[in-house]
Amino acid sequence: MTNPIRPIDPDSPPARREFLARVATLGALAAAGSGIARRALAQAAPPVDPPGTVPNAQVLAPKSQAFTVYSARPLTGSVTAEYQDFDVTPNDAMFIRNNLLTPDLDASKHVLRVRGLVDRPLEIPLAELKKMPSFTTQAMVECAGSGRSAFEPRATGTPWAPTGGMGCPQWTGVSLGDILKRAGVKPGTGHVAFSGDDIGAVPTAPKVIRSIPMSKAMERHTMVAWGMNGGDLPKVHGYPLRVVVPGWVGSASIKWVSGIEVLDAPFKGTYMDDSYRIPRTPVAPGSKLPADAVTTEAWPVKSIITLPGPGDRYKLGGLLIVRGSAWAGDYDIERVDLSLDGGATWQPANLTPRADRYAWRRFRLEAPLTRTGELTILARATDERGNTQPITSTWNPLGYFWNAIPRVGIVVEKV
Amino acid sequence: MGAAFAALAVSAIAQEPLVPGPGADLTQAKCVVCHEIQHVVRSRQSRAEWEDTMQRMVKRGAPLTPDEIRVITDYLATYYNREGPSAAAQAASAQAAVAQAQADPVTQLLNRNACLGCHAVEKPVVGPAFREVATRYKSDAAAPARLAKKLKDGGQGAWGQVPMPPNPGLTDADARLIVEWVLTRE
Repeated sequence: MTNPIRPIDPDSPPARREFLARVATLGALAAAGSGIARRALAQAAPPVDPPGTVPNAQVLAPKSQAFTVYSARPLTGSVTAEYQDFDVTPNDAMFIRNNLLTPDLDASKHVLRVRGLVDRPLEIPLAELKKMPSFTTQAMVECAGSGRSAFEPRATGTPWAPTGGMGCPQWTGVSLGDILKRAGVKPGTGHVAFSGDDIGAVPTAPKVIRSIPMSKAMERHTMVAWGMNGGDLPKVHGYPLRVVVPGWVGSASIKWVSGIEVLDAPFKGTYMDDSYRIPRTPVAPGSKLPADAVTTEAWPVKSIITLPGPGDRYKLGGLLIVRGSAWAGDYDIERVDLSLDGGATWQPANLTPRADRYAWRRFRLEAPLTRTGELTILARATDERGNTQPITSTWNPLGYFWNAIPRVGIVVEKV
Repeated sequence: MGAAFAALAVSAIAQEPLVPGPGADLTQAKCVVCHEIQHVVRSRQSRAEWEDTMQRMVKRGAPLTPDEIRVITDYLATYYNREGPSAAAQAASAQAAVAQAQADPVTQLLNRNACLGCHAVEKPVVGPAFREVATRYKSDAAAPARLAKKLKDGGQGAWGQVPMPPNPGLTDADARLIVEWVLTRE
C-alpha cells in the first residue's frame, strides 16, 4: 500500500520508512488486541459521548494515514507540511480543531436563525438558504495555535506541529453579507456573532460562540458554507453548515452554525475573553494572560515548504524541486525567497497567481544538486505591505500566530 | 485500515497516568470528564498559567468547587511546571504512591474510573449524590444487580437527561463492589 497523498515516489526512503514504522506500530497494537486497547482507554479516560455525537473513529476513518491526532477529547489533529503538497487541501488532509464533541446533525431539519440588531429576524431552513445566490472560493482556514509546538519554552494548548493546523480547501455557500442585508442590519452595529451546535461533554459547557467586526462580516468572501471541495461538508468540518472567515484564525469560522446575532460590540463569552487572545506587547514566558490582551483576527504572513519533506534523500547531480505555499491573512503575498544553504544566500521563488482572493499562493524553485551532504532549505514570504516572516515568532501565553521561517533539511548522497 | 489506525491512534494517546501526589486523584477525576488525561500529562506551566487554565476550564463548564480548584491548581503547579517537581514534592509523590497502593479497593476503583469527576457522596455534581442513590434504592432488592449493569453499560433518565458514560473496562465483581458501597452511603 502506498501513501495516498505523499506526492513523491512512495518507495523513496522517507515515505517508506514512515510507512513501515506505522505498520509496525499497528502490528504491536493489533497484537495486544483492540479490545485491550479500548479497555485501557476506558480505564484511563471514560469516553463521555452524549447522544447525538459522532464517534472519533467514524470521523477519522476517511482521514489520510499521515493525519496525526493530538487529542481525542476534544478532537484535534492535522498533517504536517510535507503531506500538504497540494494546490487545494483535500478533505482527508484538512486539520480538525473541535472545541466540543462532533454533533450528528440532520440537514433536513437545520435552520439558520438571524437575530439581534436587525430589522427582520430570520429563520432560514438550509434548503431555502441553498436557493440564495451562492459561490465557490478557495480560502485559508488556520487554527490560531497552528505551529504552537515550535514555541520555546512551550506554550499552553494543543501541541500542533510547527507546520500543522492549516488548510486551504474550496468552500461553497452564500455570502454572509447577503444574509445580513436580507435581515437588515441596524445602523451603528459593530459585531456579528456565530453560534455552533457542537455538544459539550457536560451540560454546563457553554455554546461555542465567537463574533467578528462588521467590516469583516460584510466582506463578500466571508461566507456561510455547506460545501467543501465539491461535496457536502464532512460531519467533523461542520456539516451541514459552517461559517468561513477567510484568512482569519479558525476559531472565527464557527462550525455547525445555527445562530447569527448582530451586536453593537464584541460578544462576551469564554471563546472571546479567555482564549484566542494575545498580549498587546510581549510578556515573559510563564506570565498570566494580561487583562488588556486582544482577540486574534487575521493571520500574519506565513509559509510552509511542502516539497521536499524532512530527511528526504537525493542523489548528487539530480534536480531539487522545492515547492510550498504562502499566505498573509487579509493581504496578498508579494514575494517568497528561498535559501538552499541555511540562510547564507537567498533567491526569489516563482510564485503562482492566487486562485482566489484568500487562497494561499504556491511557490516553486528548481536547482541542480551540486554537492553532497546535509542541505538546509528555508522559505521567507513577504506580504504586499512589506511584512516579512520573522526568524522566530513572539512568545505569547497561549501560543498563537507561529509564523516563523520554515526549515527543511535534506541529504544529498553520492550516486 | 484507515479506521483501525485512527481508532488505535486515539487509544494510544491516553495511557500515561498522572504523577502520584496530593490532589492527583481529584485532578484525574475532574479533567477526564472532558479530556483524556494526556492533555495534562504533556503540559508544563507556571502557577500563573495553571491559574488561568483552571479559570478557563471553569468558564467552559467544568464542575468544580472553589476548594477543588485550589487543590487541583496546587497539584498541577507542583508537578507539571517547567522546572519539574521540587525534592519535597518528589518525596510527597512517593508517599502518595504508597498510599494509593494501600488504599481500600473501593477508593482505588472510584479513582481509577473517574467516578468522582461527576459524583460526590453528599451533593449532586454532574450526576446524583451517592447518598441520594442509596436513599432511592434502599428497599429495592433487585437494585444492586441492575445498578452494577448500569455502571458497565452507562445509563440515562433515572436522574435526568445527562447520560452516564459506559465503563466497559469494569469487571462484574468490581461493579458490584462499587454498587454495594454506594448503597450503604445513606
